[in-house]
Amino acid sequence: MNSNRVAAAAVAAIAVALFGATFWFEKMPEGITRGFGAEAFPRLVLGTIVAFALLLALLSRTGESLAPIPAIVYYSGAALLLFMAIVPLVGMLAAMFLFLLGLGYLWGERRHWVLLVSAALLMVAIWTVFVRGFGVQLPQGIFA
Amino acid sequence: MEAFLGGMALLLDPKILLVVFAGTLIGIVVGALPGISGSTTTALLLPFTITMGPVPAIAFLGAIYCAANFGGSITAILVNSPGDPSASATAFDGYPMARRGEAGRALGMSAVASAIGGIFSVLVLIIAAPLLARVAYSFGPPEYFALAVFGLSMVAMTGGDSMLKNLIAGAFGVLLATVGQDLTTGVERYTFGIHSFTDGIEFIPVLIGLFALTELLEQASQLRNRAWVAKLGAVRLPSWDDIRKCSKAIWLSSVLGTFIGILPALGATTAAMIAYVETRRWSKNKAEFGKGAIEGVAGPEAANNAAVGGAMVPTLALGIPGSTTTAIILAGLIVQGVRPGPHLFTEQPLLLYAVFSSMLLANLLYLVLGLGFAKVFARISLIPPQFLWPAVFVLSVIGAYAPNQAMAEVWVAIAFGFIGFFMRRYGFSPAPLVIGLVLGRLVEETLKQSLLIFDLSWGGFLGRPIAMTLFGLTALFLLAPLLVLKLRGRPS
Repeated sequence: MNSNRVAAAAVAAIAVALFGATFWFEKMPEGITRGFGAEAFPRLVLGTIVAFALLLALLSRTGESLAPIPAIVYYSGAALLLFMAIVPLVGMLAAMFLFLLGLGYLWGERRHWVLLVSAALLMVAIWTVFVRGFGVQLPQGIFA
Repeated sequence: MEAFLGGMALLLDPKILLVVFAGTLIGIVVGALPGISGSTTTALLLPFTITMGPVPAIAFLGAIYCAANFGGSITAILVNSPGDPSASATAFDGYPMARRGEAGRALGMSAVASAIGGIFSVLVLIIAAPLLARVAYSFGPPEYFALAVFGLSMVAMTGGDSMLKNLIAGAFGVLLATVGQDLTTGVERYTFGIHSFTDGIEFIPVLIGLFALTELLEQASQLRNRAWVAKLGAVRLPSWDDIRKCSKAIWLSSVLGTFIGILPALGATTAAMIAYVETRRWSKNKAEFGKGAIEGVAGPEAANNAAVGGAMVPTLALGIPGSTTTAIILAGLIVQGVRPGPHLFTEQPLLLYAVFSSMLLANLLYLVLGLGFAKVFARISLIPPQFLWPAVFVLSVIGAYAPNQAMAEVWVAIAFGFIGFFMRRYGFSPAPLVIGLVLGRLVEETLKQSLLIFDLSWGGFLGRPIAMTLFGLTALFLLAPLLVLKLRGRPS
């Protein structure tokens, strides 16, 4: 499948959806908008994007099919989302510590003690600099 | 002159000295880490400059920008994997030199050429930026709108290989800048009921997502690649013979790099590539290129560092970023409440000259650090990805969270990490999106103001010669590749 045409179709679809969303913007009287409402500029930009997407589709007669995304990328992406899911439960520092261990293991590190020590050192550095130093209040989790 | 001396005097402030030193050190270290470019670093560290105040913040980011280009050459020479994209051309001859046991000589030449290129461009910046600002001082909204559109058209050359894809990404950046309350009417646009979007999307989480988190996902797909690493002896100053051999390449590339850097949206990577080609063209030893020619290291290194000062000229004088990293620095200034542009030269000259002098100092510092500690930086560059990238994620989360202490910003960063990954997969570079995001508000505001001046008639622009010239240049620039193809008789 021509990846450029797939990209052009996706861009056009997103632009059309966002163009549609401008019809739900709050309507204001002419006296306030002075002839150039809040929706005018986004529509102008979206129209330009659709025109560029059409050009891209027309000019891309050939386009390579893309290689599949390696499984490790999905796992890494899932790890980011999992991190976000556990922050409200265990707090940010603990979630970061678990993330450092988890992603390090996922990416091939099998020396558990190296993972543990490096993650612990980084956590101490983060706590010292940001929590103690800058006074950043990190989410504590439900067990705090 | 008074402001310049005042700016130089700021370097006597221990706090400024410390941030410039820290910025230079961080710039070299992260520049040397494969995958972490100068733009990723500035995006990642931007949140930590918020509490610094404008002068130290811009001095810190400027020092990182200067030093990251040099840092990138360390891994380009030793590992054949440029730490920063701008060092790609350095690898062509630097790595072959390292393979034949001349890594120290290559790194020495890289440090000297980088420093000469960098200092030359800062001197040009000191002279050219105020002159350019003086020209732009009389600009009204129509001229500014035309200038911003011209700047946007230059994103066609930024990032990926496809002009159209770059323009689409740039336009999406402009659209992203419309999120939040419209300044004229107060109408909320694209907030989707999310309270934190009311004031617009914050720059910092977007930048962290697009650069640091996207790169994390990219690196995940390249985990199996392992490079041959050259052994590094002592780094040494280039010999007199080396200097004589490379002097033409260094000066030619310094001028080229500065000029290319000044052009909006063309940055250090383009400068280095063009300088490599030109250095080879003007060299007496063409056959040596690609096999370890020392001029092939000197030329690109002088050019990519010269582009740094060049790129700061339109950024500071016009408020139009000259590269991806200057777009991030521009965002940093906006976050600090400073809007770059010609008025800055009359309103805050001390700030500008502090930037100039701190950039000069950074160029001298990385020469010393580069020659003295390249061996240490080379070791840092070999941190395994399974330790480096999880740590980058943790810093990204803190960076996105800390400014507003809001998890919503972390979600934005992660969302843009995924968006950036899919953009890159389909050949869309995140760099034009960032430039569009930074320029978006300026484009909309100046367009609205212009139309109000012209009583809502687009024809009003016809009576503004500077604006029309800039529109003409924009059209010429966008159509030039098509015209060239047409003249050559090739299908597009």
